[in-house]
Amino acid sequence: MTARAFVEFIGVEKAFAGKPVLRGMDLAIGKGEILYIIGTSGVGKSVTIKHLVGFLPIDRGEIWFDGQRVDQLDERGFYPVRRRVGMVFQNATLFDAMTLTENVALPLRKHQGLGWKAALADARRRLAQVYLADFADRYPAELSDGMRKRAAIARTLTLAPEVVLFDEPTTGLDPVNARRIDRLIRELSRTLGVTAVVVSHDLPSIMSVADRVAFLYQGRVHALATPAALAASADPIVQQFIAGRSSGPMETPGF
Amino acid sequence: MSAAPSLPVRALAALGRPVVAAARATLELWGVLIGTLAGIIRSYGKGGRRPRGAVLAQMYAIGNRSLVFVAVTLGFIGMVMMYQACLQFSRAIGDLSQVGLQFLRLVVSDFGPTLTAMMLATRVGAGIAAEIGSMKVTEQLDALRMSGVLPIDYLLVPRFLASIVMTVALTILGAAIMYGAGGLTAWLSFGVNPRTFFDPAMVQPRHLALGLIKAVTYGAAIPIVSGFCGLRARGSSEGVGWATTAAVVGSSFAVIALDFALSVGALWLFGGDL
Repeated sequence: MTARAFVEFIGVEKAFAGKPVLRGMDLAIGKGEILYIIGTSGVGKSVTIKHLVGFLPIDRGEIWFDGQRVDQLDERGFYPVRRRVGMVFQNATLFDAMTLTENVALPLRKHQGLGWKAALADARRRLAQVYLADFADRYPAELSDGMRKRAAIARTLTLAPEVVLFDEPTTGLDPVNARRIDRLIRELSRTLGVTAVVVSHDLPSIMSVADRVAFLYQGRVHALATPAALAASADPIVQQFIAGRSSGPMETPGF
Repeated sequence: MSAAPSLPVRALAALGRPVVAAARATLELWGVLIGTLAGIIRSYGKGGRRPRGAVLAQMYAIGNRSLVFVAVTLGFIGMVMMYQACLQFSRAIGDLSQVGLQFLRLVVSDFGPTLTAMMLATRVGAGIAAEIGSMKVTEQLDALRMSGVLPIDYLLVPRFLASIVMTVALTILGAAIMYGAGGLTAWLSFGVNPRTFFDPAMVQPRHLALGLIKAVTYGAAIPIVSGFCGLRARGSSEGVGWATTAAVVGSSFAVIALDFALSVGALWLFGGDL
């Protein structure tokens, strides 16, 4: 029997309206690893992490999580996976009609089966951990982007996930808040052994936090290396991306 | 290299594409209805976990906040309809003694529930589609799924139950206002004696049953059609706009189509006695 990585994508293909995005992508992620997925817009970074939690079905290929094939699961089958794999969305995506406490309490109530009062009490405690105790009864619209993102992270961490997927966690944040999020990702991995898969364009974040970086290009992993090795890569396509040059060998659809 | 498809093949494909899309949408609509019914069992069955106070909150949003809109609209429609009816009756037969009896029967079995539901389709349908649609395009539905919640259970089940209850309640209120406004118009404009007008002699239990069945059916159809449109929203604000428009058109059409189907069914059941 083949030994599988903790999270593994094998030959994954995905097309939207006939337009291929992922074209046989292979990627293996180790337990406790911090892996950043980078690449140009529309290359399939967010699509990749959405496949893992069943938000988008793949067209072909296999996805494995902790020895279990997950790409063939139905909505109910994904429930146990989503208990173990958390996701922090790009725009925080807190529920507008709920206070921060209610937002954080929801997964506790649904996934862990806590009563409403117990879930609310636990949610308050968790909000205090991300320095939002004073804002627990506020609605998301009343908070700044950074606060919303911290609350979204608190909500994700309520279930003590083994894998956390971050979809551009530092986008739209000021440098101070962005580095705080970086530190949080590192601490999660180092202290709790959480596997972090981070979609990002934020080079300072990538260079300081990632264990490895997967560079997606034309629907496949074009390069997979440590941040230092990637920065030193002689590959002209990788170099063009890292340097942020508008001209070079990289083919960018729409330009 | 393969040859380009011939003109008849392309024409057939162009005709077939919307048919396939419509069939797929119909299947999805049924899926939303079945999912909602299953959601009621999941939420209210043994060991089910229903959202706290969600149905009451939706009853307030759907019912109380539509109250003035429905009351005013149906009042005016009642006045206009009665004015026209009295005008035609007086020109054609010159006798207005039957106008109230016939009007009440129509209000109870048809106009009351149908017009109330048409008003709700615009106000409530648009609201449901816009809320669910904006949650869809901002990934809040995905966040719900990550929290272990089925979006249909959380968003549609409370709206479905609340809409049925409040459509029935608003139908009773709307029909009463419509009938009252009609009676007032007949009295003030044509001198019809209120004692003659407000006579329930021709209303049978079957008329009440038909009106009630219609109100319940419309109350169920509006959140299902609107929720379905909201769940199909794509992209950004443009997608939400499309979903909202589609919800109003779809819900209104559903009310009219169901009115036709239920009226035909009742005619078939009761014949000329309806």
